Amino acid sequence: MAEATAPKPSSSVKLVLLGEAAVGKSSLVLRFVNNDFQENKEPTIGAAFLTQKCNLPTRTIKFEIWDTAGQERFASLAPMYYRNAQSALVVYDLTKPTSLIKARHWVAELQRQASPGIVIALVGNKLDLTNDPSTSSNALGEDGDGEAADGEDADGDARKVSTAEAKSYAEEEGLLFFETSAKLGTNVTEVFTAIANAIPETSLKGARGPGATSGSTGRTEDQSRVNLTGPRDNASKEGCAC
Amino acid sequence: MESLSDTKWDVLISGTGLQNSLLALALSRSNKKILHVDENEYYGGAEAAFSLQEVDEWVEKVSGDDPSNPFRNASLWKADAEALNGTPGLSFSRAYTLTLSPQIIYSKSKLLAQLVSSKVYRQLEFQAVGNWWMYDEDTNEFEPLRKLPTSREDVSQDKSLDNRAKRSLMKFLKFVIDYENQAETWESHADAGLEEFLSSQFKLSVNLRSAIAALTLSFEDPHDISVKWALPRIARHLTSIGVFGPGFGAVVPKWGGGAEISQVACRAGAVGGGVYVLGAGIKQSGMVTEDGKQLSQVHLSNGETVKTRRLVGGASHHELTNPKVVSKLISVVSSPLTSLFESSIEGSPLAAVSVVVITSFGTVEHKGQPYPIYIMVHSSETGECPANQCVLYATTMHTKYSKSALEEAVSHLLKSIEKGEGKLLYSLYYEQEQQASTDPTILPNASLDLAFNDEMLQAVENQWKSIVADDTGVGDAIFMQFEDREGMDNDDDDGDEGV
Repeated sequence: MAEATAPKPSSSVKLVLLGEAAVGKSSLVLRFVNNDFQENKEPTIGAAFLTQKCNLPTRTIKFEIWDTAGQERFASLAPMYYRNAQSALVVYDLTKPTSLIKARHWVAELQRQASPGIVIALVGNKLDLTNDPSTSSNALGEDGDGEAADGEDADGDARKVSTAEAKSYAEEEGLLFFETSAKLGTNVTEVFTAIANAIPETSLKGARGPGATSGSTGRTEDQSRVNLTGPRDNASKEGCAC
Repeated sequence: MESLSDTKWDVLISGTGLQNSLLALALSRSNKKILHVDENEYYGGAEAAFSLQEVDEWVEKVSGDDPSNPFRNASLWKADAEALNGTPGLSFSRAYTLTLSPQIIYSKSKLLAQLVSSKVYRQLEFQAVGNWWMYDEDTNEFEPLRKLPTSREDVSQDKSLDNRAKRSLMKFLKFVIDYENQAETWESHADAGLEEFLSSQFKLSVNLRSAIAALTLSFEDPHDISVKWALPRIARHLTSIGVFGPGFGAVVPKWGGGAEISQVACRAGAVGGGVYVLGAGIKQSGMVTEDGKQLSQVHLSNGETVKTRRLVGGASHHELTNPKVVSKLISVVSSPLTSLFESSIEGSPLAAVSVVVITSFGTVEHKGQPYPIYIMVHSSETGECPANQCVLYATTMHTKYSKSALEEAVSHLLKSIEKGEGKLLYSLYYEQEQQASTDPTILPNASLDLAFNDEMLQAVENQWKSIVADDTGVGDAIFMQFEDREGMDNDDDDGDEGV
């Protein structure tokens, strides 16, 4: 901020994904990061930490996206998962009302466990399974979750959670709200851009770590960081860009 | 919720303490069906870390009469607002992460190399253990706190040493970093006491002898430390200095020490497809035969029954005849104690931890406590407390006097720093007993050590080998050596954060 001519300031923002199994958490991220979609995706194994930049007019936000790696199934997420998260994506499946109940549970959990001031977006996914005018899906019920298709209405609309209901809940709790289709890409970038815009400038100091450690000492956190892959470490050099 | 009993598990790991979590990490690419459970509602077992509220719950739990619990006699003390006289008191519960494992990790420890080669280091942040101090009222009543000379630079700059003392100390330091090649100097003294050895072979003064003994981080009376045990530990200290930068030889993970490593290791287990269930311990297990194969059938405390080919950590504890017991006192202090962390060495990172070794302080009572007291002072940089406070982790051998000795040691230390401005806000006392498992692959005292003990890695590697040996075709797998997962863009990751 001191130098006006410098390139746009860039900050890392930790984003955690939460939501019932099979609502499309990883698919949303895959669409955002790779602009890709996999039908019948297996439960998340492997990729659980992805990064993607989001360019805003005045700054660049680099999302560090933490997937749950399936640890949400038995409510076994570790405290480190929430710690320092500046944003969260709480996802439900709009064809499955129980998944919204679960989403409310995760919102409460975040309010209890995460940093105060965390930006939370509530996202109703699988908009392609509805006959919403904003989407033009003709392939119904193939969205990785076979059960979702079972309750389709005669007119092909599988929506079970109304926009109004979820939206009013989001407003009550002060959450950003979107309905998306990871499959078609509808609204996906919009969610992340809205989150990036909603992150307060003040929490964007260093690499990460708002609140608790900012302190009054004027030191940045990185002064105490020890780099294990530094030039003095001859055990492993790869991954070091210094 | 899906049922755990539908799957036939390859490995069931019980307990998310450091050793079992590292095993989960080691197995995270083995394509085995792994169920990892913990009887507690939190990760980390004996290496857990807690908010203040979680400490309250933990104290309640460990005061119960459970022989399998290594912890006992936990008690809490909180300053009342009036006594603080305007000093800001404790912050909210989650502003604190008090760890049961404030272990330091020497830079040369294989653990760090394995966290790097297994790629999980990216989710951890390490900070330097900076200054080492010695507090000794017997030698210097007025200025009892002195920096320990632990490197050659320190020795040459130390004004309290005369030239003869410097020469003797230099001679010892030179010897000890190469002790393995100088058997003739020490082998005939291998079982002798370190004190006697330093005095007879190197003519070191009593001060320097206790300074050197402090580097071993031994709980014992320095007279009882054997030469063969002490030399590798002193060498470990000296050769670790400078490995990751000037002025320090050990690191700690930010946000709660060992607890953080076990969480990251478990996360890697989950990323590899492992299933994690908390609040589920092993109630009972037995062998069953299915399709001609022997399986363990395990009843979990959450009511489920599962079948697994291998069971790790399910063994019960047995009583040791003479278990080692240590007393621990965790104190939150209302001052950043800045002077403890200042470094005179150019280019050294801002230290987050300082070590204070207390060899003598002035009460009659403490004479019943001949053992050294170690205090790991953690600044707010560790993320364990709010800014302008510190957390002190004090440890000593358990005796009749150890609790009052720890309390007095902390109080004496606070009086000697920053004009005594640091007030005690909170303290948690407890005792931890060394345990032996009926499972020989579980190390009995790993979590008692003040520095991470690499023997644990050997134990994990042995467990890992015996599990992957069941398979064919994985003969060339290297322990804890993994490629980055897809989607992990490492240039980007390290590139724009700079150093």
